[in-house]
Amino acid sequence: MNGPLIVQSDKTLLLEVDHEQADDCRRAIAPFAELERAPEHIHTYRVTPLGLWNARAAGHDAEQVVDALVQYSRYPVPHALLVDIAETMDRYGRLTLSKHPAHGLVLTTTDRPVLEEVLRSKRIAPLVGTRIDPDTVAVHPSERGQIKQTLLKLGWPAEDLAGYVDGEAHPIELAEDGWALRPYQKQAVENFWHGGSGVVVLPCGAGKTLVGAGSMAQAKSTTLILVTNTVSARQWKHELVRRTSLTEDEIGEYSGTRKEIRPVTIATYQVLTTRRKGVYPHLELFDSRDWGLIVYDEVHLLPAPVFKFTADLQARRRLGLTATLVREDGRESDVFSLIGPKRFDAPWKEIEAQGYIAPADCVEVRVNLTDSERLAYATAETEEKYRFCATTDTKRKVTEAIVRRFAGQQILVIGQYIDQLDELGEHLGAPVIKGETSNAQREKLFDAFREGEISVLVVSKVANFSIDLPEATVAIQVSGTFGSRQEEAQRLGRVLRPKSDGHQAHFYSVVARDTIDQDFAAHRQRFLAEQGYAYRIMDADELLAES
Amino acid sequence: MSTEDRRPAPRSLAEALRGRDDASLGRLLRGRPDLITPVPTDLTQLATRAGTRASVVRALERLDRFALQTAEALAVAADPATYDELLGLMAGDESDPAVVAALPHALDTLREQALVWGGDDRLRLVRTARELLAPTPQHPSPTGLGPTVQEATAGMSPGRIQEIVTTAGLPSTHDSVSAVTALTGLFTDRRRMAALLAGAPADSLEVLERLVWGPPYGQVTPDPAPRLRWLLDRGLLLPTAPGTVVLPREVALHLRKGLAHRTPEPVPPVVEVKAAHRPQVVDSTAAGQAYTALATVEELLKDWDEGGPAVLRAGGLSVRDLKRTAVALDVPEPVAAFWVELAYAAGLLASDGEADERYAATPVYDEWLELPAAERWSRLATAWLAATRTAGLVGGRDAKDRTLSALGPGLDRSAAPEVRHRVLALLAGLPEGAAPEPESVLARLRWERPLRGDRHEGDLRTRLARWALSEAELLGVTGRGALSSHGRVLLGARATPTAGKTRVARAPGGDRAGTPSGDGPWADTPGDGTAAQAAAHAPSGPGDKLPVHHRGHPVTPLSAAEQAVASAAAARLLAPLLPEPLDHVLLQADLTAVAPGPLQKHLADMLGVVADVESKGGATVYRFTPGSVRRALDAGQAASDLHSFLAAHSRTPVPQPLAYLIDDVARRHGRLRVGAAGAYVRCDDDAMLSEILADKRAAALGLRRIAPTVLAAQADPAGLLEGLRAMGFAPAAESAEGDVLITRALSHRTPPRTAPEPVPDGPPVPDDTLLSAALRAVRAGDLASTTPRKPGSAPAVNGELPRTGSAETLATMQAAVLTGEALWIGYVNAEGTASQRVIAPVRVEGGFVTAYDHTADEVRTYPLHRITGVAELAGDAD
Repeated sequence: MNGPLIVQSDKTLLLEVDHEQADDCRRAIAPFAELERAPEHIHTYRVTPLGLWNARAAGHDAEQVVDALVQYSRYPVPHALLVDIAETMDRYGRLTLSKHPAHGLVLTTTDRPVLEEVLRSKRIAPLVGTRIDPDTVAVHPSERGQIKQTLLKLGWPAEDLAGYVDGEAHPIELAEDGWALRPYQKQAVENFWHGGSGVVVLPCGAGKTLVGAGSMAQAKSTTLILVTNTVSARQWKHELVRRTSLTEDEIGEYSGTRKEIRPVTIATYQVLTTRRKGVYPHLELFDSRDWGLIVYDEVHLLPAPVFKFTADLQARRRLGLTATLVREDGRESDVFSLIGPKRFDAPWKEIEAQGYIAPADCVEVRVNLTDSERLAYATAETEEKYRFCATTDTKRKVTEAIVRRFAGQQILVIGQYIDQLDELGEHLGAPVIKGETSNAQREKLFDAFREGEISVLVVSKVANFSIDLPEATVAIQVSGTFGSRQEEAQRLGRVLRPKSDGHQAHFYSVVARDTIDQDFAAHRQRFLAEQGYAYRIMDADELLAES
Repeated sequence: MSTEDRRPAPRSLAEALRGRDDASLGRLLRGRPDLITPVPTDLTQLATRAGTRASVVRALERLDRFALQTAEALAVAADPATYDELLGLMAGDESDPAVVAALPHALDTLREQALVWGGDDRLRLVRTARELLAPTPQHPSPTGLGPTVQEATAGMSPGRIQEIVTTAGLPSTHDSVSAVTALTGLFTDRRRMAALLAGAPADSLEVLERLVWGPPYGQVTPDPAPRLRWLLDRGLLLPTAPGTVVLPREVALHLRKGLAHRTPEPVPPVVEVKAAHRPQVVDSTAAGQAYTALATVEELLKDWDEGGPAVLRAGGLSVRDLKRTAVALDVPEPVAAFWVELAYAAGLLASDGEADERYAATPVYDEWLELPAAERWSRLATAWLAATRTAGLVGGRDAKDRTLSALGPGLDRSAAPEVRHRVLALLAGLPEGAAPEPESVLARLRWERPLRGDRHEGDLRTRLARWALSEAELLGVTGRGALSSHGRVLLGARATPTAGKTRVARAPGGDRAGTPSGDGPWADTPGDGTAAQAAAHAPSGPGDKLPVHHRGHPVTPLSAAEQAVASAAAARLLAPLLPEPLDHVLLQADLTAVAPGPLQKHLADMLGVVADVESKGGATVYRFTPGSVRRALDAGQAASDLHSFLAAHSRTPVPQPLAYLIDDVARRHGRLRVGAAGAYVRCDDDAMLSEILADKRAAALGLRRIAPTVLAAQADPAGLLEGLRAMGFAPAAESAEGDVLITRALSHRTPPRTAPEPVPDGPPVPDDTLLSAALRAVRAGDLASTTPRKPGSAPAVNGELPRTGSAETLATMQAAVLTGEALWIGYVNAEGTASQRVIAPVRVEGGFVTAYDHTADEVRTYPLHRITGVAELAGDAD
């Protein structure tokens, strides 16, 4: 009774990381518990039905889970909790979706009352066909996703054994010349392929694109890649050409500007969700080829309509890539039922410890508003308040001081408000990339930054996702999208790519004291603090005095 | 009794009682305490009382299924019946060995409970019991037997009877009585009866088959079918009312092979073991749950600290408040109701009795909080064991269809403590670490008190037992379904169970020192105890040659004093299993503090102010927010105090963002403060102290500046605080250690309240002292009224007072004090009324004798000069 684990009544597990058995314990609980927070001393895991079913899907049984808890727990585990876990896990697999030689897709059960129960549900009734025998019922093939989603909501997740279509074959090989997949990437590809479909969770900068490429090389079939925006789409294309046997001509881009359909097609969420007169005109993309693999980049941003389309694609292999399963809209269960269970997960700090992502020094700089600014802030309209405090003049001085301090290094200044960015660009003598900047211009500037021709770049939120700026070592955030934790993680991700010289990365967040800017900042940084990135807080005066 | 054989057989229950020894009478009175409330004057009165309907019903309800079946069988047997007749009814023609083995014990039980008397050759069921159990058309007996041939033919014409006798193949007789006797003789003769039935048509036998296990009544048309006619003609069915026929008892018994019951249940159902855990696992799980119980009760009352929920006009807690409480405690509502009722039963919460009545913690709660954890638990567990209030009923409806609310009226069920105790005792009978199959426990309980089932509220006893099982788990008396070792001790059992731990009543004669502590009441092993009993009171007959069964239950309820001892022992056993309170937390950069276990109280209190609780369980996760830090500052802490507090109690360096948070919040916070230790005022702001000093109103406080930021005061801390407040300041009090005293001015308390008294069913079981006293009284009264006086000592003329000289009186009294004997005295009171009394002198001094007066059932003092004379009781002579 002196284990590293404490089981809480709200089903969170506290793991004392400095304990000698902590590593064993982490391995034992990782399959079923979701790492929620990983600050320096005590990591918090949460046991959810989804997590338990994930574990079942991965082949763990309730016995193992209970054993892990009992073995490592410091205090007696409440019996009710163990019973609850066993019962929850027992619910998975009572229903299975499989292929029947005569009837096509069927739902079978090992426990007849469960089948009776779900068939009585109004939401299930329209999705199923005739009752073949007491334990089997036919399912319309087109409702495969829908029924899985609904069954999960009813608390009886179905195991999907109906298999996948191979899709149109297309030769794809990894071109491992002078580089190779890192061990954890290999592991992720392997887990995904073994499981059929699912989600791989890796920190920003840990090479999710390569996991995608590796999976494509496994599938060797036509692939549809869904990404967040055009820049990201170009990035994927660039990477794929560099890392695989694919050529420029084999990869198509399906975006607002270009509509190419090639063996490997990269489409943006935006174009798929464009609606004209109540219909989605670009939806036919899914049917335009016999895709063998569909890759969802940044699954946590997947828009709701795409979920709906995905429900119809259950016969195709699906790979979700993300840095975090935390969705601000709480639709984690849809990710589970429609894309698949989590297949691979590695804590940020662990990958950092292996040297694959750069260590980062996070600093929040608090600036004081001047008396006149405070008065203006106090009298500002509520909706204007954030804009006002986020763009205060004092921030400019601080930003300049930081830029001066890291003169010679590659510095990104990231912000939300275009006026502020323009002004900063002017004072720092740095180019500004914003929404209206043309894609050609953006590429040019990024290339110049990469080559070291420019050392300071001011970017708006267009640069939030998926642009690869390998040599950025310092990021300065002057304003953000209110309290988005997700954005903060992405922005930190900008500087976490491994540096050629093993340099430490710096992430500065400039915040106006005693305003809502500070509250938002606290909310944003909480995610990172929970990932183990401790913030330091500095006074602007201190910083200005130093430089 | 061994002497019984030599005595004439008793002619009445009173005589039978008179023939019993004290130990046996003691068991009767222990089993039926209503008989000595009030103490009857003599055994005749005792016997009369034992025959009243209310008392007999009560006694029957306390019988186990087999004893009850035996009584039922006696009720359908002849009166009086012989042991062999009874055995025939119970064991059947095939002599079920289990029944044969168990019957003597069941009969002993019935005899002991004064439901049956007489020797084995003349067993008599008490008349009232017979009336209650014998079958009548209105109240069919559980045996399913009908009336005897004699009863059923009572109103029949002699001609018809003769016809029946003839058809049945018997010679006709000259009167109905002998005809009925002959018919009865035929029906009870297995061989001749078999021959008669062999000639019956198959469908007639089918009719009998339908009626044989009861109900024995059937409907017939005025013109019965041939198969019925065959039976009616031979008296195998007898008409009772027009259109109704009955299967006579003798015929049914023949068809049943002599059995009065379809399934005699001589052996109690075995409590099955569902799972066997390691005892250590059980204990630690139970201890974990015990700790949770404490935390939950504390949380509940903390939640209600600043004004609990309102009391409904009809009493109790509203459904909404219960829901809210359940959400706050994060438990289902029935469980929340349990915790609320538990706190109430332990006297920790009550209504405050104000105009707008609210529930609040009692002062006892504050005392309780100061106790060590294990003792806090034993207080809860003890209150739970004895409580008659049943939380399980909450949410249900009473007979008038009113909702039963938690803390409200109508929740008392007098059977609850008994059932609870019995359930736990059954668990205690299992090996350590064994968890029973709940259904088998319930089946066993139904066997033990068959009449108490079904009748009230849909088998209340079974529901009570279910609740007892789940509540025991919640409270940590059991762990994983098995009784923990501290639970075992709490019940009064030793840590390891032995099969026949029998608690035998101490003989009331005072043959053993009467101290209830120590092993006294437990010393009897089944071997010596029951053997002695068997020798003492089992009548001669088949019974006394068989192994004697354990009497009573392995664990009997404890008296208040014994329970206190057991609770303390349980607490001692539990204490090492409870987690040791910690004095440190782990601080993290995400502004959380994790206490990896329970915290010392002062630390938990302080952290509860500085930070918000985020998750509970084995550990507690606290989160620091600007709001929580501000709250701490409001409570009078300064930033530096918080820093040093965190530094002192953190195992890890204080993270920079946390330190920054505190400073940031403190930057704008006010900072006046007062210390209580030795009455001083300290304040970071010396200008404010100057201000206080300069104020004329401060003169009474006797303030003196001893440092730029510290003032010493002559006034005591309370007066000082009051004075400063009157001046418009808001000082905070400090403890001797320099921590701020967190006095919650708002904490709401009731006036002192006592916990609700359990409402027992009927009078309490008398303790040994009372029992022996009562027995002596009854016996003495009995002797006084019936026994002949010792020849020569005093004139035995009825109604005449004994007369002796004053010297002899004094000498006899003093001798009686030494021997503890009772005396018969004549006494003339102040009004000159003469009376006879039986007293047991305790002390003779100063012309007075202090004695226990058996006649009045109390200790009285008599002036010696008013005593006309004294005589020894004749009964003592032999």
